[in-house]
Amino acid sequence: MIEFTLNGQVVQTDDTPDTPLLWVVRDTFKLKGSKFGCGAALCGACTMHIEGAAVKTCVLPVSAVAGKSITTIEGIGTPDTMSAMQAAWAEQGVPQCGYCQSGQIMAATALLSNNPNPSDGDIEQAMSGNICRCGCYPRIMQAIKSVAVQSQKDAAEVASISKATEVFL
Amino acid sequence: MSQPVKTRGPEGSIEKAHNSIDTANGSIALSRRNFLKAAGVTGGGLVLGVSLTGCLSRPALQTRADTLSPNAFLQITSDNVVRFYCPRDEMGQGITTGLATIIAEELDIHPQLIEVKLAGVHADYVNPGMGIQGTGASKSVREHYTQLRQAGADTRALLIHAAAQEKGVNPKDITTDNGAIIVDGARFQFGEFAEKAAKLSLDQQVLLKPSDQFKYIGTDFGRVDAVEKSTGTAMYGIDAELPGMRYAVVKHIPVAGASIKSVNEDSIKNMPGVLHIKTLPTGVGVVAERYWQAKKAAAALEVEWELPELANVNSAQIKSDYQAALSEGGEVGVEQGDLGQGFAAATTVVESEYWAPYLAHAPMEPMNALVRVGKDDAEVWSGTQMPQPMRGLVARHAGLSADKVTVHPVYMGGAFGRRSFMSHVIEATILAKETGEPIKVVWSRESDMQNGVYRPASLMTLKAGVDENGKISAWAAKRVGGNINPDMMRTMLPAVLPGLVPEGATNFVADIIESFNESWSIDSASIEGLCENYDFPNREARHVTVNHGLPLMFWRAVGHSFTAFAKEVMIDELAEQAKLDPVDFRIANTETNPRLQNVIRLAGERMKHLEVPAGHSLGFAAHGSFESDVAQVAQVSVDSGKIRVHKVVCVIDCGRAINPDIVKGQIEGSIMFGLTAALYGDIQLENGAVKESNFHNYPILRMNESPEVEVIIVKNDDAPTGAGEPGLPPIAPAVANAVYQATGQRLRSLPLTLA
Repeated sequence: MIEFTLNGQVVQTDDTPDTPLLWVVRDTFKLKGSKFGCGAALCGACTMHIEGAAVKTCVLPVSAVAGKSITTIEGIGTPDTMSAMQAAWAEQGVPQCGYCQSGQIMAATALLSNNPNPSDGDIEQAMSGNICRCGCYPRIMQAIKSVAVQSQKDAAEVASISKATEVFL
Repeated sequence: MSQPVKTRGPEGSIEKAHNSIDTANGSIALSRRNFLKAAGVTGGGLVLGVSLTGCLSRPALQTRADTLSPNAFLQITSDNVVRFYCPRDEMGQGITTGLATIIAEELDIHPQLIEVKLAGVHADYVNPGMGIQGTGASKSVREHYTQLRQAGADTRALLIHAAAQEKGVNPKDITTDNGAIIVDGARFQFGEFAEKAAKLSLDQQVLLKPSDQFKYIGTDFGRVDAVEKSTGTAMYGIDAELPGMRYAVVKHIPVAGASIKSVNEDSIKNMPGVLHIKTLPTGVGVVAERYWQAKKAAAALEVEWELPELANVNSAQIKSDYQAALSEGGEVGVEQGDLGQGFAAATTVVESEYWAPYLAHAPMEPMNALVRVGKDDAEVWSGTQMPQPMRGLVARHAGLSADKVTVHPVYMGGAFGRRSFMSHVIEATILAKETGEPIKVVWSRESDMQNGVYRPASLMTLKAGVDENGKISAWAAKRVGGNINPDMMRTMLPAVLPGLVPEGATNFVADIIESFNESWSIDSASIEGLCENYDFPNREARHVTVNHGLPLMFWRAVGHSFTAFAKEVMIDELAEQAKLDPVDFRIANTETNPRLQNVIRLAGERMKHLEVPAGHSLGFAAHGSFESDVAQVAQVSVDSGKIRVHKVVCVIDCGRAINPDIVKGQIEGSIMFGLTAALYGDIQLENGAVKESNFHNYPILRMNESPEVEVIIVKNDDAPTGAGEPGLPPIAPAVANAVYQATGQRLRSLPLTLA
C-alpha cells in the first residue's frame, strides 16, 4: 500500500509501485480532470502539483509520491468555486477542445505562486512544457497576465490598507 | 487472477465520475446555469417540437404522456429548464455555443441560460450538408443556420400562442425578452406556458427575425463549455467508465495492412492482471484489470507479423515514385480557356515544383473507446466526428442491428479530421463481444502517431504566365499523390451499410472508387484550391494518382492544406519575376472574386502600416476555402537557419460571424496548427512503418514559438460561411514568402527548411 495526500485527503492504493501517478489518480481515485496525452512527459496534459510544484505525472511512479501532498485540477477549484486562474481561463475564452487545459492551468498556477509578476518571457518559458494542439497560446498568455495584474493590484491594495492602518495606529 | 482492490478515494469522487454520465437518454449535460438549478427538480415538463422525420420513426427526444415534441432540438419544461440538443459534435470549434446562439436568437433567450446537450444519434440530427450525422468540412454553422433559426422561431410562436390563450389577449400584443413572455408589461417565464403550448400546433412556419434585430448573433458572451473545460469537469471519451469495465491495450500492426502470423500468448499470460489476449484486424488486444497492467503486457507480448507490400517502401522511394509520375499526363480535373494562347500571350513564365509531406493529426486526446455489448444491445462512449457511422460500426461488429446500439456523446479532445476514422471503436467492440465484459481501449501516443490515417503527401507542379498587363494569362497545375476518397469509403461503407452486407463487398466498392480515381475521375479533395480563387482565364488542373497504401484521411483544411502552399508561393514568384508588387498583383488578378479581393486589399493596407523591427520580414498569402476568404501577413525573422514567426495579421470574410470571438479563436488556432505543419510536420516512412512516435520527433508548436495573432473579421451580413478551417491554408505560404524576403531562399518544400 502506498499512502499519499490527494487534494487534502490521505489516500492509499495497492496499484503496483511503478504505476504512473496519473493512472492512479484517474482510475483508482476517479479524478478524471488530469489527462493522458503522451505518456512521455512531453505534452503536460497530466500536470499536477506535488508539494506545490508543477510535475508531469504520466511517467512518475506512484511510489515516488509516498507521503507527499498532491493537488489536481479538482483540488484548486470547482465550477461553483473557481480559482482566480480558472475564472480567468473561462472569461478569456481560453479552452477550445479543452483537453490540455487542466495541465495548462496547473502549470500557470504554479508559475504565479513562484513568480507573482512574470514577464512575457517568464510565462513562455514556464508554459513551454504544455502543448495545446488547438493553439490557444495567445489566450493562455492573456489569462495568466490578467491574473498576475489582478493579484498585483490586490497586493497593492492590501499594502496601502495596512499602511493606512499603521498611520492611524 | 483478479487481485482484491482496497482503495479509498477522496469522498464523493467516484460518485461524481458516474453522475457525469447520463445513461438514461444517451446525452450529457454541458451547461447548467445556476438560475436553472434554482428552478428545482424537473417533472411534468413539456417537450416542444415536431419530429422532423414524422411519425415513422421514434422521435429524437423521449416524450411523456403530458408532453409533445415539436422538434428534435428544443425542450422546455414546465419548471423552466430550456434545453438545446446540439446536433453537431464538439471538437473544440465551439459549435455548442454557435448553434445554441442561433436557436436562442429566434427563441429569444440568452444562450448562456440554455442547458446545452450533445444530441445522441437520430435521423433528425443529420448534417444537412452531408446526408449523414457527421461533423466536419467547416459546415456546421452554414448548414444549420436557417434550420435552427426556424426551430427557435416556431417554438417561440407556440409559447406566445399558449400565453395568449391563457391570458385572453391577442398574440400580436405579446412580446418576448430573454426567456420571458411579456403580457401587458408583466413578465412570465417560458416554462409557465410550456404545458399549454405542447397542445398547440402551427399552421405554417413563422417569419424569421430581420437581422438588424439580432441580440445575440454577432455578440460575444463566452463559450457555453468554458467553465467545464476550465475546471476539469468536461467529459471526454477517455473519462467514461462502467462497472466491471476492463482495460485493453492493443499491440498494433507495425505497418498499415500487416496481419498477424503468430502470437506467443505464453510470453505474457502470467503477467499481473492479464485476463484475455485476442487477435484483432489491427493487432493483438491485451485485456487486463488495470490500464498499466495491459500496457506493460502489450509491450512484452511476442508477435510475428505478416508484412504487406508497403513494408518495402521508404519515404525517399515515395518521393521518387511521385517524381517519375510527373511525366504522365494524368487526368484532367479542371479545364478552361486556351492554355496555348495564354502562354503565347505571356511575357513572364515561371515553372516550379512543390512538395507537401504526409502529416498526422495528433489531437491531444489519444484514440479511445468504451464499449459494452450485451445479448440484445450495445452502447459506446467515444469522441467522434461521425456518430452515426460509429453506431453502424459497433452494430456490425457486435452482430446487432443499428437501432440496438446507443451512442453516448462526449466531448472530443481535438479531432481535426482524425476522429472520422474509428479502428479503435472496432477494437473495443470485438473485445467486448468476445469477452462479454465492458472494454475500454486506450491507445498510446505512439499508436496514435503510427497507426492512424494521414494527410496525403503531394508533389505539385505549377507553370504560369503573366502578360504585359500584369494579368495571369495561363495557369497549368498538376498534382501527384494518393486520394482520400477510397480510404474514406473503406471506413464509411461498413459503417453506414447494414451488417448483412459483408465487409468484403464494402471493400470491393471502395476498390472500385479507387480505380475510378486512378483512371477517369478525380477526387476533388486532391486538387481543391490548386487553380481557383484568381481570374485564371486559361487554366488546367491535372492529377496523377500514385498510392503506396498508407491510409489517408481528411486533415484540417484537407486539400487546401497543401494546394494553397503551392499556389500562393507561385503567385509570389510570378509577381517577383514580373516585377510587380505581390499585393497589387493579387488584387489585379481577382477581378472576378470581389470577396477575396477585398480581404487582400484590407490585409495589404494593414501590412503597409505594420511596424517592422530591423531584421524582420513580411510575407503575404491569400486563399479561399470552405466558402470563406482569408488573407494573411506573416512577420518573420531568420536566425542561424531557424525560422521564427513573430506576428500574423489575418483578415477573414466568413459572412456573418455568429460568435466573433470564437471565429477569432478558430483563426488563432488554425494559424498555430498550420505553423506546426509549416515548420515541423513531416511523417516519414521507414520500411513502411511511420518513424515518428511522439512529440519529441513530431513536434507541435509550443507557446514560446507561437506568434502574436491579429484577427480582422470583415463585417458582412451575408449568410455565415466556414470558420474552423479557412484560417489554415494561407499561413505556410505567407511564412515561406516572408522567408524569401529575409533570405532570398525560395522554399518550395514543406516543412520549410533553410539550406
